[in-house]
Amino acid sequence: MASPHPPPDPQGDAQQDVPLGQRLFDNVFLWLVAGIAVMAIVYTGWGLYEILSMPPATLP
Amino acid sequence: MTAPAFRTCPFTSLKVDRHAEMLIRANAVVSVVALLVGAVAAVMLVLTRWQAVHLLPAVWFYRILGVHGMSMLIFFIIFFEMAVLYFASTALLNARLVVPKLAWACFGLMVIGAVMVEWMMWAGKADVLFTSYVPLRAHPLFYLGIILFAVGALLVTVIFFANLVVAKREKTYEGSLPLVAYGAVAAAIIAIITLLHGAAIYIPTFLWSLDLMEVDPQVYRMVWWGLGHSSQQINVAAMVSVWYMLGALTVGAVVLNEKISRSAFVLYVLFISMASAHHLLVDPGMGPAWKIVNTSYFMYMAVLASMIHGFTVPAGMELGQRLRGYTNGMFEWLRKAPWGDPGFSALVFSVVVFGFVGGITGVAIGTEQINIIAHNTLRVPGHFHATVVSGTALAFMGVTYYVIPLIFRKKVAFWGMAKMQPYVFAIGMFIFTMSMTFAGSFGVPRRHWDISFSNAPFDVQFSPAVDVLLAFVAIGGLLAATGAFMFIAIAVKSVFLGEPLGEVTRGRAMAGVPQGLTHPPTHAPNVDELNAALHHPSRGIFGVAPGTLALAGVFLLAFVLYYFVNWKVLSFVWKIG
Amino acid sequence: MTPETHTGLQSPRGVWWKPAHKAEKVWVAIAFGWCMVLFAMMPLWHLKGGQNPSGIRRKVDPEAFFQRTQEFIAQYQIGDDRGMPIVAPPAGSDVYLTAMAFQWTPILQLEKDKEYVLHLSSRDVNHGFSLYPLNINFQVVPGYDYGLRVKPTEAGDFRIICNEFCGIGHHIMVGRVIVLDGAPQAATAETAVVAGGDR
Repeated sequence: MASPHPPPDPQGDAQQDVPLGQRLFDNVFLWLVAGIAVMAIVYTGWGLYEILSMPPATLP
Repeated sequence: MTAPAFRTCPFTSLKVDRHAEMLIRANAVVSVVALLVGAVAAVMLVLTRWQAVHLLPAVWFYRILGVHGMSMLIFFIIFFEMAVLYFASTALLNARLVVPKLAWACFGLMVIGAVMVEWMMWAGKADVLFTSYVPLRAHPLFYLGIILFAVGALLVTVIFFANLVVAKREKTYEGSLPLVAYGAVAAAIIAIITLLHGAAIYIPTFLWSLDLMEVDPQVYRMVWWGLGHSSQQINVAAMVSVWYMLGALTVGAVVLNEKISRSAFVLYVLFISMASAHHLLVDPGMGPAWKIVNTSYFMYMAVLASMIHGFTVPAGMELGQRLRGYTNGMFEWLRKAPWGDPGFSALVFSVVVFGFVGGITGVAIGTEQINIIAHNTLRVPGHFHATVVSGTALAFMGVTYYVIPLIFRKKVAFWGMAKMQPYVFAIGMFIFTMSMTFAGSFGVPRRHWDISFSNAPFDVQFSPAVDVLLAFVAIGGLLAATGAFMFIAIAVKSVFLGEPLGEVTRGRAMAGVPQGLTHPPTHAPNVDELNAALHHPSRGIFGVAPGTLALAGVFLLAFVLYYFVNWKVLSFVWKIG
Repeated sequence: MTPETHTGLQSPRGVWWKPAHKAEKVWVAIAFGWCMVLFAMMPLWHLKGGQNPSGIRRKVDPEAFFQRTQEFIAQYQIGDDRGMPIVAPPAGSDVYLTAMAFQWTPILQLEKDKEYVLHLSSRDVNHGFSLYPLNINFQVVPGYDYGLRVKPTEAGDFRIICNEFCGIGHHIMVGRVIVLDGAPQAATAETAVVAGGDR
């Protein structure tokens, strides 16, 4: 198997050229917060709201 | 003089932190112990649902069903995933484990919790099944055991992120995390989402079991599945990570496009956990809007992610093979692949059964309305045995064949049997899941001891086809269990009584050493040129991975057909609204 | 110089945020289109399809629901089958079915092509309403009244299987729903029992 961590290439790897998308994707904590937030709001929060705001039965 | 903190792997040149290595080993061993408990339970269960045998009496059937669920879905899989997290945040990055003492404390906590839970279940103090739906009540120590286990696991995810931060700061790797580590990040984030829901539900339920507070049954179901199903999505992310890893190790699979593969992991992180809702589609507690938005993983964006990985994983393998010279026709790359390498065969079966059987059935029965004809029937366990067992567990078995030489530094024992093991397991599980899914479409209930209803007040006559299907469920299940016991025997013997790995000569096949290590699938020095040539626009859309594109087309066709057949079947039942 | 082509175990070098090969783009586009179809089907079926789990959903006290079921039985009972009351509510009415460990009460006698609001709830723990052999399945949760607007589309003598584990008697928990082809000429207990077979 080829060595997974080759020596740095003096020509490439310049931080200034890294696109925003790549830098965003590399930020694992951004996705940690986003993942928790989306779930907490769309599934858990909304779900709790649905259950807790349900009107009582009239048993017609 | 103290022992060096790292050793250098002779195969990969990676620096392996010794503490991390010990923890990987410890978690892997406990994982296999849990698998053994779960597999023994599985045999007893299939022999009970096979009505002709009906092995266990009712009380023990339900008890062992709970043991099977807990041991497999929580203990086996999560201990294994802890090992994956340690590997991905240390060895894979040449990095160190930041707080070994805490890591060991977490391991201890998880083991204590697991033992408490198993003890309560086996002792009959927690006959509530894996889901423990309130108001079914178990002994408080059952809930406490789960809480301790979850706290330990949550802290391990924190250690995982701490390792990543330190590795970046100490510049132990250049550039971005390798894709396999990125997948582990996705798994770790989903694990945190899972465990937070676990805390949110088990702490109140523990207090309820002590009569200290009330727990609403519908709130319980909704929050519990935020733990219960999300935990399976940890498995999906970890499995895909392992797919990329096994592809690299066995056939030199290359990453087609980092942006695309990482986008798919990001979609998982954002949206995959929402589909916990598909257990609640026919519940009274929530309305159609909540159900539709959540069960669709937000407009099926997480399904898009799976379809992306379902393409890029085999395409990466195909491209890796083509770059190494297997360019004849559409499928030489697959025909000439190392089918005798159990890491490779496990990988392929995992991808195929997960995608074709697990994925397709899951999206269908997870559709709001189609769930009406599927909820709590055998279609549900039919589906999830195709995903978490034939998918994740099989992938984990496959990677174990590399973990044994690379981390435990032993030869794989019973090598002849090892080469066959993924086939036995996969074929068994395929028969099992197909038969079970089909039986479910007849209305056969899950979690049910006696479908002859011999003591019920009214008769229920199932078609004789159902008895045949349940017999096949048992046959497939017994074959798969055999495959599981084969794997356990191999793992235990290798680790505890196995031959030390010793010298491995490149180019010479060795019993007990997978082909990826004796004949590493390295690429030629001009691989970039070869890759550019394959990508050349003149070769059109079929330039890079024509075989995979064809297989993806077959998959899509199967998906469309199965999906719309379900709608048609639904249209025949009563009008309901 | 180290190649750019790499495996998933290797850190990608430099900028990897690059356009994908056409095959990948086409597959992602097709998959995205399919996902949109999958998503559209659910609201579409709410508009055009006949089976949706919407229902009239309310919170209810389990004992109050059980009492209402008893009143419902008293109002429309026409007989019984081995001790379980058979109830024939008129078309368009609210029908009450209580699940409890380990029975479904009462036996319902409905008419084909007529609409009812079928209220499902539990007196104790979770149960699973599974109408056999139609394979219509709903979760029955204590504390919640699931009022499903139903219209039987075929006559028959159906069974309700419980498909949510509810305790040691879970597998003997079977109920019964009779659907007649038209208004019964003289609805009697005997007619209903004979129509249902010998057990």
